[in-house]
Amino acid sequence: MLTKLAGGRVYDPANGRDGEVGDLYVRDGRIIADPGPGAAPDETVDLSGKVVMAGAIDIHSHIAGGKVNIARMLMAEEHRAFPVEAEGLCRCGGGVASPSTHVTGCRYAQMGYTAAFEPAMLPSNARHAHLEMADIPLIDTGGYVVLGNDDLFLDLLASGAGEEVIADYVAWTLNATRALAVKAVNPGGINAFKYNQRRLDVDEAGPFHAVTPRRILTALAGAVQRLGIPHPLHLHGFNLGVPGNVEATLDSIAAVDGLRLHLTHVQFHAYGAEGDRRFSSAAARVAEAVNRRPNLSVDVGQIMFGQTVTASADTMAQMGNTGLAHPKKWVMMDIECDAGCGVVPFRYRDKAFVNALQWAIGLELFLLIDDPWRVFLTTDHPNGAPFTSYPELIRLLMDRDYRLAKLAELHPALPRHTILAELKREYTLGEIATMTRAAPARILGLSDRGHLGPGAAADVVVYTDRADRKAMFEKPDMVFKDGRLVVRDGVVVALARGRTHVVEPAYDPAIEARIARHFDERMGMNLRHFRIAKDEIRGGDGLVRHNCTPGAF
Amino acid sequence: MATHRDVVCPFCGLGCDDLTVKAAARGLTAQSTDCPIAQDGFGRMRPAEPPRVGGAPVALEDAVRAAAGALGGSRAPLVAGLGCDVDGVRAALALAERLGAVVDHAGSEGLYRNLAVLQRTGWIATTFAEVRNRCDLLLVVGPDPAPFHPRLYERWVAPAPAYREPGSRAVVFLCGEPAERTRAALAGVPVTVLPGAAGEVGDAVAVLSAALADPAAAGGEMGALAERLRAARYAVVAWAAAGFEGAHADLVVERLSGLVREVNRHTRCAGLPLSGHDNVVGANQVCTWQLGVPLRTSLAGGVPVHDPHRFAWQRFQEVADAVLWISAFRPEVPDFPVGKPVVALAPPGTVFAAEPAVFIPVGTPGIDHAGHVFRGDTVVALRTGRLIDRGLPDVATVLNAILAALPQEVAC
Repeated sequence: MLTKLAGGRVYDPANGRDGEVGDLYVRDGRIIADPGPGAAPDETVDLSGKVVMAGAIDIHSHIAGGKVNIARMLMAEEHRAFPVEAEGLCRCGGGVASPSTHVTGCRYAQMGYTAAFEPAMLPSNARHAHLEMADIPLIDTGGYVVLGNDDLFLDLLASGAGEEVIADYVAWTLNATRALAVKAVNPGGINAFKYNQRRLDVDEAGPFHAVTPRRILTALAGAVQRLGIPHPLHLHGFNLGVPGNVEATLDSIAAVDGLRLHLTHVQFHAYGAEGDRRFSSAAARVAEAVNRRPNLSVDVGQIMFGQTVTASADTMAQMGNTGLAHPKKWVMMDIECDAGCGVVPFRYRDKAFVNALQWAIGLELFLLIDDPWRVFLTTDHPNGAPFTSYPELIRLLMDRDYRLAKLAELHPALPRHTILAELKREYTLGEIATMTRAAPARILGLSDRGHLGPGAAADVVVYTDRADRKAMFEKPDMVFKDGRLVVRDGVVVALARGRTHVVEPAYDPAIEARIARHFDERMGMNLRHFRIAKDEIRGGDGLVRHNCTPGAF
Repeated sequence: MATHRDVVCPFCGLGCDDLTVKAAARGLTAQSTDCPIAQDGFGRMRPAEPPRVGGAPVALEDAVRAAAGALGGSRAPLVAGLGCDVDGVRAALALAERLGAVVDHAGSEGLYRNLAVLQRTGWIATTFAEVRNRCDLLLVVGPDPAPFHPRLYERWVAPAPAYREPGSRAVVFLCGEPAERTRAALAGVPVTVLPGAAGEVGDAVAVLSAALADPAAAGGEMGALAERLRAARYAVVAWAAAGFEGAHADLVVERLSGLVREVNRHTRCAGLPLSGHDNVVGANQVCTWQLGVPLRTSLAGGVPVHDPHRFAWQRFQEVADAVLWISAFRPEVPDFPVGKPVVALAPPGTVFAAEPAVFIPVGTPGIDHAGHVFRGDTVVALRTGRLIDRGLPDVATVLNAILAALPQEVAC
C-alpha cells in the first residue's frame, strides 16, 4: 500500500526542511523516497496549506512504574474528580496529573506525540515498568535505568573497580532491564538518605560506602561514553528545588569535564539565593554554560500552574518537600538497595512568588539557550505539570505578547526578579519541530524516528496553521503511527500498539559472576529471575534495538 | 520424573525463587523447603478435568459460550477472585469493562486496610532487600505474619545486614507471639516479645508513639521500646493487616504509619505492610495502572468508580446478579449466595458448595504456564515458569474467549 501525503508544508529539521511545500510517500509503515511519476499511490491525502511534522517525542515523562501507581493511589481525589469515559477505541480510566495507561496513550497521541520515555526506571522495578508501558496504546516507549545509588555500584566504586568493570556493570544492567539510557538521580544522595542523611555535598563522602557524588557522577558519565550509548548520562542533579543549587549544577557540569551530559528538568536546578527573598533566577548562568559547551543538553521541566503530583526517585529531596504537600499526604519508599521513590502531591500557585519565579526561570532557560537541538520541551510530567499542558507551553514560547500577558497575571513582585519581559525571542515552527522531534530522536539515538526522510517510521502529524499555537498543537488534524491514521480531528480512530526502544551495549560476561554473588548473598533473588527476557517485552513483539557505538563520542 | 531448580513460588508474595520442585506422574512436590504454603500449593496439583456446564462435562468452547451467556445478560455482574497472573488480570479488566462489572480480588481485605491509609495519608515504606541489608531493628506488630508468609524471617530477617556496621539486628514482637518456625528461623537473632492481645494492637501503638517524645519519662517496656526505635539506625515496622482483629482495622494501620513517621523525626524508619497472596498486589497494580484507581472499583457507569466499602466483593456479591470468580492459584472458592449464576475459573479438583453454572478448569501460573506475579512489597515483579503440561488453558485465554463470545455492543 502506497500513500501519498501531498502538498503540506513540511517541517523536518533533520533533513533540512523548514516549511517548504512537498510530498511524503508512505509504504509499509515507512517513509520512502519519491517513487517517481510511474508510481500510482493507492491513496492520496491532500495536505495543502497544512503543517506537517514527524510525530513528537517526549524525552522525559513519568508515565509508568511503581511511583506512578503510587501517585495514582495517592491522587484518589483527582481520579474521583476526573474520570474518563471510554471514547471510541480508548478505554475508560481517569486522571490528569496521574492518568491511567489508556488515557496516557490517547492524550499523547491526540496531541501529536508518538513516543514518550519513562526516565526513572529502577532496576528492581523495571519488569513492572515494562508491563505497564505495554498497556499504553498508540505511543512508543522505553525506560532510562536509574544507577548511582545502588549499593552494588557504590560497592564497586569503593573497592576500586576500574573503568572497564564499571562499564561492564552499566552495560549488563541496561541489557538485563531492557533500558534505552542511563539516568543518575541525585548521585549518592538517595543512598545517603537511607542512613538518615538529609544532604550530601558533591565532594562529601557518603555514609557506609564512603564514595563522593562527584566520583559516582564521573564514573557513570564515563561508562556511558565508553559504551557508546547514544544518550548521554541523563542527570537529575543535586539539591533539587533548593535555592542556590545553581552552584551544584555548574559543579556537575565541571565534574564531567567535557564528557557528554544531559541535565534533566534543569529548571529545578537553576536557582540562585540572591535578592530580598533569597530565591532568584540563575537561568542566565545555566544557559550560558549550556551555550558554551556542545557536550551538554538539557530538558527544562517547565512548571505550569495548578494541581499536580511530584514523583521522583530522589527521596532526599522529596522528604524535604513533604511540608509543602497539597493535599497534605505523601509517600516515601526505600527500594531494594537500588534507590527509592518519593511521591508528593503539589499545587503550583500563580500568586505564590516562588512558583511564579519557577515558571519564569523555565521560560528564561528556553529562551536563553540558543540551540534548539540541545534543549527539550518537558514539564517533567507530572512534576512540573501534566504533559497535557504542552500546547500552552508551546504558545508561551512562540508568542511573546501572550507570554507578557501571562506574566502580568502573576505575583506582583515577579517582574523585578525575572528578565522574561526583556526576552524578545519567539520560537519558530522549525525550532519547535527541532526541540520536540528531530533533537529528541537524535539525542536518544532513534535513527528512524523524529524525522521524515526515507526509511523513517511513518509517524506523521498534520496541523492546521493557527495563530493560536495552543489551539494548533492541542488538536492536530491527523496523526499517523507507523503509517496508520490513528487520530483524526482529536478523535482516536485506530489503536496501534507502541514499541519499546532499547540499547544492548556489549560487555565482558565475567561481570555476571560478581553480580550473581550480590544477588545470591544480598538480594534474595536469583540473577536469572532478575533479568528480563526478550519475550517479556510486549509479549515478544515490539522490541526495537538501537546501536551503541563505542568510541563514537 | 523431572526436577526443576530455582523455581519461583507464586503463592504468598514473598517471591521465593529458590525452590526445587519434583514433577512425577502423581503430581508435584516442593522438596527444598518445609514452607507449608509452597508444599500445599505445588502439592495439590490434580489431573486435568473437563469444563462443566450445569454439572455436566462439556468441551471448552461450549463452556465459554455458556459463560458468555450467563454473564452477557447480567445487569450487575461481579468479576472477582482475580487470583491469576498479570495477563489474566488484564483480560479480567477488559471483560469487566465490557460487562460493566465490579472488580475485586479475593484477598483484598488485608490489602485494603493498608491501601486505605496509603490513599488517606500516605506512608513511609520499604522493600524486602532493604530490610535484609539495612535494617538493624525489626518491630513486628500484631499477630506474627509467619502463617501468611512462612519464609519471611528465613529469607529476609535472619541473614545479617550487609550494609550496616556492625552487621547485626534485633527483632521485637509487639502484641503477637512469634510462631515456632519464627523462633527457629531467628535462632541467633536477639528477640524481644512484648505480649498483648491481638485486639489491642492499635492501643499499644498509640502508647508507643506517645512514648517516642520522651522515652525515659514514659518508662516501662514501651519506654524502652521507644528508646530502641530512636537509637536504631534503620528501624522497620512490619505488620500483616490481614491478621488484625476487629472493625476498622485500617485505623490500626494508620497508627502504625504515624508511628513510622514519628520515628523518622529521630532516625530512619520505614513500614513494611505485608500482603500479597495469590498475586493480590499484582492485581491491584494492573487495576491501578489501567483504570487509575485500585481494586474494589465499579465499571457499571461507564467510568471507573472506586469505593473500597461498597465494591468489596464480600458485600457486592449479595447484590450482584452474576459472578465470575477467578482462582487460578487455589482449588477453593467461597460459598456464593444462592440464586445467581456463577462462572468459576479454578484449578481441577475445586470443590464447590453448590455446583456453579459454569466451571472451567484453568492452569496455575508458575506451574502450567509462565506468567507475571508481583511480590508483596509491590516493587518487584517476577516471571514464574512452566513446570508441567496438564493441557489446561490459562486464565487470560479463557477470559479473552468469553469476551469474544459476548454479543458485540459498545459499553465502557
